[in-house]
Amino acid sequence: MSGIAEPGPADLLKIARATLLQDIVPHLTGDARFKALMIANAMAIAGRAAQYGDVDDFENAAEICADIRAGRYDDNDEMVERLLAYCQDRCAISSKPAGKVGE
Amino acid sequence: MDEPRRSALAAWLPDGVSIVAMSLMSGGAIQQNWKLDVLVDGTPQAWVLRTDSAATLSHSRPRAEEFALLAVTHKAGVTVPEPLMLCTDLSVIGTAFFIMRRVEGVAAAHRIVRSDTLGGGRDKLVEALGRELARIHAITPAHGGLDFLARHPATAPGLRFVADMRAHLDHGRTHHPVLEFGLRHLERTAQPAVDIVLCHNDFRTGNYMVDEHGITGVLDWEFAGWGDPHEDLGWLCAKCWRFGSPHEVGGVGSRAALYAAYQAASGRVVDDARVRYWEIAATIRWAVIAISQAKRHISGTEPSLELALTGHIVPELELDIMRALA
Repeated sequence: MSGIAEPGPADLLKIARATLLQDIVPHLTGDARFKALMIANAMAIAGRAAQYGDVDDFENAAEICADIRAGRYDDNDEMVERLLAYCQDRCAISSKPAGKVGE
Repeated sequence: MDEPRRSALAAWLPDGVSIVAMSLMSGGAIQQNWKLDVLVDGTPQAWVLRTDSAATLSHSRPRAEEFALLAVTHKAGVTVPEPLMLCTDLSVIGTAFFIMRRVEGVAAAHRIVRSDTLGGGRDKLVEALGRELARIHAITPAHGGLDFLARHPATAPGLRFVADMRAHLDHGRTHHPVLEFGLRHLERTAQPAVDIVLCHNDFRTGNYMVDEHGITGVLDWEFAGWGDPHEDLGWLCAKCWRFGSPHEVGGVGSRAALYAAYQAASGRVVDDARVRYWEIAATIRWAVIAISQAKRHISGTEPSLELALTGHIVPELELDIMRALA
């Protein structure tokens, strides 16, 4: 534990989301319930982003896109690995963790 | 609908038809659907009136064309709501509209993919989907009545798709290396069409209605056009349209059941590699749409939690693309 008294952004989002899901959502129906679940989903994504930090954006994306389109990365396994890792890093923030589908 | 417009509608309807009740069923950004209960010579009938929203997007298919699509597909035996009458006279209710018979059933994708019984059971429903697609794909450019659909260029449908998506990406002015990589793969592996047929182009769970026995209506024809029959099969099978379900065909049932029923009904052999090609294309198309939806939020033109969250499905779509290519 650090000496800082105030909870950080990831902690705040986590407890706010838990409160929303436990104390508010059960009282809601229909459109209000659907929207509250969307809010919980947004808080989960923001919480993971606060926890993991921003994903490095693809450097020189414009140039690389043009090169891919021109065929300069055809059959390039290194690029396949790099793109896969780029997707996985972003999924760690944007997607529900595996096994929690439908939460 | 206000009283003057409702009166104008009542006056426009054929003799012997009277409106009993009318209410808004669903109001999308593009279209509105009105539930219309009428008496026809004293007999109750359930209709739907479909019209443009006030703020119509210029690229939405005009109602007259949608009506023509329903008429042609209904005649070809596709399970669609029977189209009844069309009005292109803007002086009646202010926009063009048409009336079709109302079909009952469940369209909500999350309910359909979770149910083992809706539509007659998983593989029964998938077989019925295969037969619907076979009937749609029996319609060719030689059929009359669909001359408004853009003529199909001589190039491979995959190349046309790639050019289309690249134009969208360039217009959006953001850079998406994974989508570019997927499009380059599709460009390099594009094949000539096996046949050029009518494609629904949005044939997926969520866009058809079912009851306990089967399909009650194939809906949402606004993207229909000429193409390769595998385009629709790939869209239906794509992982992004399974709604979290493990079942490969629309989250509903098995690929084997779909292919067998489609082949039996169409006489056309399903080329699995071509279906997989169009599954990658489907994932790219959905990602491009999701990016443009998220941009409406990010740009501030339409702040919306739903649009903002749609942007966050892009990484998973891109991961699906890379897994299919790796």
